[in-house]
Amino acid sequence: MIAALGLLVGIVLGVVFQPDVPLGLEPYLPIAVVAALDAVFGALRAYLDGIFDDKVFVVSFVSNVVIAAAIVFLGDKLGVGGQLTTGVVVVLGIRIFSNAAAIRRHLFHA
Amino acid sequence: MPETTPAERVNIPLLTLITQQSLDEDYRHVAERRAREGGGSTRRRTLGTATLVVAAFGLLVTVAAVQNSERAGVETARRESLIDTIDERRADVAALEERVVDLQELDVSLQDNLDDVTAATQSALARVERLGTVTGLGGVTGPGVRITVDDAEGVPVSHRDLRPLVNGLWQAGAEAITINDQRLTARSAIRNSGITVRIVGNNQALSPPYVVEAIGDPRTMQADLMETSGGLLFRATAEQFGFPWTMNTVDNDEPMALEAAPPRLMRLRSAVEGNAAQNPQKPRKEASP
Repeated sequence: MIAALGLLVGIVLGVVFQPDVPLGLEPYLPIAVVAALDAVFGALRAYLDGIFDDKVFVVSFVSNVVIAAAIVFLGDKLGVGGQLTTGVVVVLGIRIFSNAAAIRRHLFHA
Repeated sequence: MPETTPAERVNIPLLTLITQQSLDEDYRHVAERRAREGGGSTRRRTLGTATLVVAAFGLLVTVAAVQNSERAGVETARRESLIDTIDERRADVAALEERVVDLQELDVSLQDNLDDVTAATQSALARVERLGTVTGLGGVTGPGVRITVDDAEGVPVSHRDLRPLVNGLWQAGAEAITINDQRLTARSAIRNSGITVRIVGNNQALSPPYVVEAIGDPRTMQADLMETSGGLLFRATAEQFGFPWTMNTVDNDEPMALEAAPPRLMRLRSAVEGNAAQNPQKPRKEASP
C-alpha cells in the first residue's frame, strides 16, 4: 500500500517538475527504465513469496539500472549499442514475463 | 527453485536458465540466512526504503515517458517539415517539367524558323553568286575567248577601238569580261588616259598589250563575235591601223580565272533598293535640287 503510494508520488513528481535529463545520459534512460521495471517485478514476486527484503531490493534496483546502462554505454563505444540494447531488453523482458507469471499464480491461484 | 551446480548450469538452455532465475537469488539467500538466525523479524523493518526506491522508479518512468513524447513531437515536426519540403519540391518539379515542354515547343518552332532562314540564306547566297557574276563583283572561272591587241607603231590603241570589241563580246553572249585582269562591271566605262586606256571606276591605268578575256560559250563565241557590228568594227579598225592582234578560244581544260572588281564599286550612294511602289516616301532632301 505504502509502496503504491510511493509510486504515485514519484509519477506526480515527474509530471510536475519534468526534470531535464542531461543529453549525454538520454540514450540510457529507456534501458534503465526497463531494468528498473525488472527489479520492481522481482521485488513484487519476492514480496508475494514472503521473502522480500528491502536491502536486497535497493541493491538489485540500483545495480540493475547501472549495469543495463553500462552495457549499452559500452555497446555504443564499440559500435554495437543498438544490438546490445536489444539483447538487454530481450533478457529483461523474459524475466519480467516469468516474474509476472509467478505473481499471477500468487494473486489468482491459477 | 532448485539449486543448480555449475555443471548442471552449463547444460541448461539459456532461455530456460533465464526463466528459472527470473527472481533474484539474493532474496532466497537472505531469507534462508534469516531463517537460520532464527529470524521471524522478516517484516520488522518498515517499507520506507522500498517506498523511496519505488518512488524513484515512478519518477524514472515518468521522465522517460515525457522525454520520449517530447522527442516524438520533434520527430513528428521534422517529418511534417520534410513532407512540406517534398511537396514543394514536387511542385517545383512539375513547374520545371512544364517549362521543359514549353522550351521544347519553342525549340521546335525555332528549328522551323532556322530551317526557313537557312533556306532563305542559301537562295540569297546563290543569288549573290549569280549577281556577282553578272555585275562583275564576284570572281568567276570558266571557258571563253582571249583576245590580245597591241599598239601599232605610232598609233596607240584607244578606247574607241576597245569599246566596240567589248560591246561585241557582250552581244556575243559573254558573261564576264576583263581587260588586263581588270573586271568590267555594270558601272564600268572605258576611257582614254593619256595615250593608254583605263577603266573608269577601277582607277588603274592599263598599258598595252591589252588582253581581253571573256567567259562564254567557247564553241560559238568567236563566230558570234564576228557577226556583231562591234566585232566587225574592231577587226576593221585593227586591220586599218595595223594593230597586231590575236584571238583564241580557251576551253574547259584550262579555264580562265577572272578577278572580281574592287569591292568599293559595290557601294551605292544615291540609289535605293526597290521600285517606286516599294519606296513610296519622297526622295531625300539632299538628293532633290
